[in-house]
Parts: sequence; structure tokens; C-alpha cells
Amino acid sequence: MPRKVRIAGAKATAEAVKAANVDVICSYPIRPYTGTMIELARMVADGELDAEFVHGEGEHAQLSVVLGASAAGARVFTGTSGVGATYAFELYSPIAGEFHPVQCMIANRTLDPPGDFGSEHTDALSARDQGWLMGWAASPQEAYDNTLIYYRLGEDPRVMLPQFPCQDGYFISHISGEVELADSDQVEEFLPPFNPRNKLDPRQPVLMGPQCRADQGAAIELGRAEAMVRAREVIPSVIADFNRVFGRNYSPFLQEYMTEDADMVFFGQGAHTVPARLAAERLRKDGLKVGVVQLRFMRPFPTDEVAEALSRFKVVGVLEISNSFGAVYDSGPVTAEVLSALYYAPAQPKVLTFLGGLGGENIRLADYYEMARAMKAAADAERLKKRVFWLGFEPLHVA
Amino acid sequence: MAQARLGAQKPDKIEIADYEPIRSMRNVPTTEYYVPGHRTCGGCMPALAYRLTALAAGPNTVFAGPTGCMYVANTSYLCGPWAVPWIHTQITNGGAVISGIAAAYKAMIRKGKYDGEYPNIICFAGDGGSSDIGLQALSGAMYRNHDLLFITYDNEAYANTGIQVSPMTPYGAYTTFTPPGKVVPDAKPLFPKDLLKMVAAGHPAVKYLATASVSYPLDLMNKVRKALAVKGPTFMHIHAPCPKGWSFEAHRGPEIGKLAVETGMWTLYEIEDGHVKVNVRPRKWRPVKDYVATQGRFSHLTDEMIQRLQAFVDAKLADLGLEAEPPTPVPPVAG
Ligand SMILES: Cc1ncc(C[n+]2csc(CCOP(=O)(O)OP(=O)(O)O)c2C)c(N)n1
Ligand code: SF4
Ligand SMILES: [Mg+2]
Repeated sequence: MPRKVRIAGAKATAEAVKAANVDVICSYPIRPYTGTMIELARMVADGELDAEFVHGEGEHAQLSVVLGASAAGARVFTGTSGVGATYAFELYSPIAGEFHPVQCMIANRTLDPPGDFGSEHTDALSARDQGWLMGWAASPQEAYDNTLIYYRLGEDPRVMLPQFPCQDGYFISHISGEVELADSDQVEEFLPPFNPRNKLDPRQPVLMGPQCRADQGAAIELGRAEAMVRAREVIPSVIADFNRVFGRNYSPFLQEYMTEDADMVFFGQGAHTVPARLAAERLRKDGLKVGVVQLRFMRPFPTDEVAEALSRFKVVGVLEISNSFGAVYDSGPVTAEVLSALYYAPAQPKVLTFLGGLGGENIRLADYYEMARAMKAAADAERLKKRVFWLGFEPLHVA
Repeated sequence: MAQARLGAQKPDKIEIADYEPIRSMRNVPTTEYYVPGHRTCGGCMPALAYRLTALAAGPNTVFAGPTGCMYVANTSYLCGPWAVPWIHTQITNGGAVISGIAAAYKAMIRKGKYDGEYPNIICFAGDGGSSDIGLQALSGAMYRNHDLLFITYDNEAYANTGIQVSPMTPYGAYTTFTPPGKVVPDAKPLFPKDLLKMVAAGHPAVKYLATASVSYPLDLMNKVRKALAVKGPTFMHIHAPCPKGWSFEAHRGPEIGKLAVETGMWTLYEIEDGHVKVNVRPRKWRPVKDYVATQGRFSHLTDEMIQRLQAFVDAKLADLGLEAEPPTPVPPVAG
């Protein structure tokens, strides 16, 4: 029987890793993801989970250890946060390019500087172009579910890509919520054992990652690109299967909230979409028809779904919890994707960017109200003078 | 011998499985696992070291190859010369990748997911990928008590990038990053790291370490066999002359490797459970000058510089207890 508990995202992820019966785990300490590893270390020590627990000598080693283990045929887990995610960067391309479906959770943390402990998505998003599946959980339950969904997706023979299930540090990783833990029959039904076609088995020798000539290189990269395209095709059926087995109600790519009659929406990923929902409810009293669209996968980016969904509204306010200094309109990586997706959309809404939550600062409910008023002003304005705002640092005057 | 033992406290005893030493060159197995089909330079001694290692290790083996000549020159055109599984690693992380492979086999065998025998897991890394940018991963692998073998093939430079100085480059050697000039006439002014001692001294899980040379193939192969038979992490450091990097004629590699041992530039020894055993002790030490004379990379050295190199070698030999002792010929067979 599935069982309900109150736990935070970090612990929920550990529970899902245990449910997935991984073979090799590699650790290195950095807050806030450590919460997951501490729990896994206990599970292995207590014999609740039969896995090799390897103490990596750094994040670079963590990713290297799980690469080797995955290549040998093991299901693997590792994780990191903040500067740990950037320290390991060298491995992201080899892992994806050689099709090792390793899972590396990221509990987001700001990079240095500012060097604080806050959540910000820049750590993970810096690695968005390497061929890893990537998306954010908006609750501990989603953190739990995503770990199982990502193993299933990543290990699908049509995909074979590594995965970054992300969760906002602290907001998700360390605030408890109700989590329904699966029973083993459900997991068995949803997640088949990992059995890659190619592995480092002396009885069937293979080469992994050999050199090639420049004119052989493009085809190899095309393979990675096609795997990502296939992942986008596979996601709806995997999510449908997950909903069926676990009794959930996820949309594959975009979770919409109060959008039926909305003329403007907050668009974002992860924890910050939760207060956005509360703000949307309350703003109805002021006559502001605001909805929320939560992006569930950043990679593969659901271009058609985003284009179609967002073109229904007059204004989209992107919650940009990450930096990309010098990016288009001095906005950020999520805005850049949204604007690109909308270029060929049936209609173009006005798009505002709210850079907030940086360094882990809170976005307060009052901020959401202010953003909503700016979106309303944008809807009414003929021309926009300003579209990108650093929340808390400048007035949100659009016209 | 200056130190009978080398290394930190080693609470666990060494555990060695049965293995078959190769008694003579006539008994070398004939099935090769590193076969033709690569484009290393003519006379490449690291390639020969690979071949001998693969011969000794046999079919139940997985190789990991960090970036370097033994990756690039072996696997060009998406193919490679191994008849056993091989995986590329970054130049930075050979030790960590084989740690993962070892952990995977341990878990999969325990959980019934793999029904074969635990394989030989060997990282075959360059000196740069071992003593410099890969040192952290090497140390991690040696520390964590995985059952694996890390081999450094030492061509004394970052060869694949066009011969740049590494921590293993000898004093006085020309590389493209250490050209001799008016201000730095001796080219490389520093003395090399002692990688084997570093591994031996600081990693209590390591029960067997050995140096080897391609010029002593039987000794090399038997050390590989023994290292693989010893439970836990083991380390080998193989001297492998590089005709391109050291600038000598392609056919002279074996001779130069031998000369390195005869001059004390390289020493063949092993450390088993903390006990140091020298395997080859020349009757009479030849002067370093003879070695230097065989290679273009030393052609700018003055007598005074060669003297510095000789003094370094003398001190190194003294440290191993090898100074001017009556020559005791020891057969070049490990074990
Ligand atoms: C992170 C990183 N930095 C630099 C390089 C460039 N690089 C490629 S091969 C090589 C030389 C390797 O030297 P060594 O480990 O001694 O092996 P050798 O080429 O001498 O066989 C270097 C530095 C790289 N591949 N990766
Ligand atoms: S440069 Fe040296 S190590 Fe590299 S392939 Fe040529 S001979 Fe071998
Ligand atoms: Mg080298």
C-alpha cells in the first residue's frame, strides 16, 4: 500500500532513489542537496537499500564515478548544488554524449558570488545545453515523483539520456509537505530494471567514447540531438503511465492553474509557482484575471506546447530565477526560450521578465501583486517602454 | 635499504589470489588483447606497454583510458585496438571512472545482476593524467579500497598535445613549454615528483605498488598479474620512452629504457605490504651522461647541468638503499 508521510524534498528524493533500487551512489557534501545524501547514507548503512555508497573526492569525481558505474550497467544516483554543479561541468557532455542515463539531482543554490545559501536556478541552467533532461519540482511530492519519472524516461532505449531533476534549495528541499510513497508493486510496474544494450562487459566487448575525425563528429552530436527530440515524444506516454500507476494528475509539459478565463499568466518553474498560485487566487478579488503556467521540463523544451499555451494570453510574466548576463533584452534563459517559442506562435502576447529570487531572496506575495499590476498595465498599454525588471530594485513601470 | 617499509600504517594484511606468473618469454601467452589497428608513432613504447599489460591481464578485463596519446592515437576513426571493453575517460578523472566501474561490479554481483566473474579493472593513464591533472582522482581511487589497478605509463611529458612539460619530465629536458633560452638555459629547472612514493606513503588501502619498464617485458607482465591478483587498489608506474617527445630514432626505445635502469634514471622495484624490493640492480651504475647523450631533448645540457642531474639520481638511489653496493643480480621476475 502506498503510504503518506510529511517530509521535505531532499528526503523525498532519497525515498524515491531507494524505491528505484539504485546500485551505485556517489556523494560529496554541499548544502542543500546534502539532505538527500545524508538520508541515503543512513539507508545504506542500515541495509534498507542495497547499494555501493562511494565517497567521491569532489563533484567532478561524483559525476565520473556514476559515469563509470552506469557504463558498467548499474543504475546510479548522485546530486549536487551551486558551485558543485559547475565544478563537475566537464563531465556533463561526455555523460550525455555517450548515452549514460545517470541521474544527478540538483537542489539549487546560488553560485559564488554572492556565496550565500539561497536558491537560484543559475547553477542547473548553466548546464542546460549538454543533453540532459532537466526540469523543476514544485513540491516534495513532485520531487519524489520526478526521480522515478526521470529514471524511466532517461533509461528508455529510445532516449538513454542523463537527467537533472531539480528542486529549489530550501523552498522545496527543506520545507516539508505531504508525500505519498509508492509501494514496490507500483514501482515495479512503472520502472523496468536498467539493462542497457551496451555496457563494459568483458563477455561482449565494446568501445565507449573513442576519438574520431572532425568529419565524423557531427553525426555523433546529431545522435544526441535526436535522442532529445525522441525524449520529447516519449514524455506524454510516460507521464500518462505514471498518472495511471500512481494515481496522479500531471500534465506532461505545462501545469496550468486558473488559466481558463485568465488574460495574463505567471510563467515559471519550481517553487516560485506555488506563491504565484496563491496570488492568482487572491488577485481575482481585485478583478485581475491572472493564471499560472508551470513549466515542467526545461529540457527538452516543449516548444509547441509553450507557443500554443502562451499565445492564448495578453501578457506573460516570466519568473526568471536565474541569470544569463548579457542575454537577449538583458533578461534570462527562461525568457529567451519563451520569446523564441513565441516567434512562430499563432499570436504573440506581451512578455515581461521579472528577475527575482536571485541569491535565494524571497519573492513575497506583495511582489506578485505588484507584478500582476504591471502585467495589467502592459495589457492596457499600446507600447511598452520597459519589459525586463529586477524585482525590488526598480519600479515596475512598463509604459 | 634506507627504509624497509614505505607507507602509512596498514592494519589489513595483504590478500593475494592465486595467479600464474609467466616464467620466460617463451611462455608468454599468444592471444593478444591489444592488437594492430592504431596510429601511434613508430617505436611508441607506451603502445608496447599497453600490449604487454593487455597480454598479462587477459580476456576478463575492462580498460579505462584517460585522454592522452593512448586514447587519441589508439582510437582515431572511432575504432580501437582492444579486444576487451574499453572506455574513454577525461584526462582528469581516470581514477574516479574506474572507481565507478568497480563499485558497479561489486553491487551488481552482490545483487545478482551480473553473473560473470569480477573483472580486472585497469586505468591506463599518462603521466599528466596521473601526476598532475588526474592526481586527485588517482588518490581517491587508491584511498577508497576499490578492487582495481591504476597504471601510469610515463613518457615524461604531455605528449599528445605536442610535448609539454609535466611533473614527470626530468630536470633539464626540453619540451615546448620549457625551451632552453638565455634566461632559463637548463630548459626544465625542476625535478620530477615521486609519484609512486606519493601513492605508497599516503594510501593505507594500497598493498601492492610497482615500477616497471617496457624494456623489461617479463618483469612488467608479472607485475601486472600480481597487481591484479592482490585484493584492493594497486598501482603501477611504467617507464615508457617516447621517440617523438624525447627525440631519438624509433628503433632505440628498448635500448633507452634499459639505459634508464642502468644509469639509475629509472629503478625497477615493488612495494608489497610495505616492504620494498628492488628487482633489477645493475652490476655497475653507468653515468647519467650516457643516457642523456641518447636523446635530443637533453642536447643543450652543459656538463654542469648533467652533474646536477647525476646528483639528483645519486640521491634517489641512496634513498632506495642502492648506492654503490656490491652488485647483486636479481632475476627480473616479480613474485
Ligand atoms: C581538461 C583537459 N585539459 C587539457 C586537455 C588537453 N590534453 C589532451 S591530451 C593531453 C596530454 C596528456 O598527457 P599525458 O597524460 O602525459 O598522456 P600522453 O599524451 O603523454 O600519452 C592534454 C593536456 C584535455 N584533453 N582535457
Ligand atoms: S608522441 Fe610518444 S607516446 Fe605519443 S604516440 Fe608518439 S611515441 Fe607514442
Ligand atoms: Mg605523458
